[in-house]
Amino acid sequence: MASDAKDVRALLVREARTVARRDGSRSIEAEHVLLALAATRTTSAARMLAEAGLTEEAIRAALDREWEQSLAVAGIAVRIGLLPEATPDGSRNPHIGDSTRLLLKRAMDASPKLGAGRLGPLRILVGILDTERGRVARALQAAGVDRAALRTRAADALAAGEH
Amino acid sequence: MTELVDPKDPAAGLAAVVALRRLADRLEDSQVEQAMRAGWSWSDVAEVLGVTRQAVHKKHARRLVAAGVALRRR
Repeated sequence: MASDAKDVRALLVREARTVARRDGSRSIEAEHVLLALAATRTTSAARMLAEAGLTEEAIRAALDREWEQSLAVAGIAVRIGLLPEATPDGSRNPHIGDSTRLLLKRAMDASPKLGAGRLGPLRILVGILDTERGRVARALQAAGVDRAALRTRAADALAAGEH
Repeated sequence: MTELVDPKDPAAGLAAVVALRRLADRLEDSQVEQAMRAGWSWSDVAEVLGVTRQAVHKKHARRLVAAGVALRRR
């Protein structure tokens, strides 16, 4: 069990790093972890996201919408899809960013109390959803997703022994 | 002129800061690539960006080499 959970965590970080690299990002942020989580498909966390309409594609679209809306606050009107592309650096090794550090901490603090090596995908999802600030929260809001309700659902499933 | 951001909503204003940084990063990556593909030198790019040649080289050289951009000698 414990080693399974560790594998999931390692897989998630590896996937999130790939997502971050493709995004041209120098760090792995919460949005990359969320996308990696949605990409796992078979986990209950991914299923819960999909039930809320949050497939990988929908999450990407929501993140772009958040970006556009936040730029609009500063008076800039751009369509993210029309921005010039840059070739991503395939050799870049993005480090764990502050928003990821924060979500991991929140995941570990979620109840029930964390046993050794049991940081599974559902717990990570709770950690991601456990904030009303930042790009992920704003993107979910832009997508019309009730983040608090989704967080409650994930936390209930976690408390019921899913992982 | 209208106000740039709603003074009563710092959350939106701060999110705009993050969005602008992301936009600047994306533009820098794509436009440095564009310039180097067009045969600019590192010195020219550095001068326009207002940074040292070493800084722009360190930040972009590896990516552009991997992307197959034929770079002029510095």
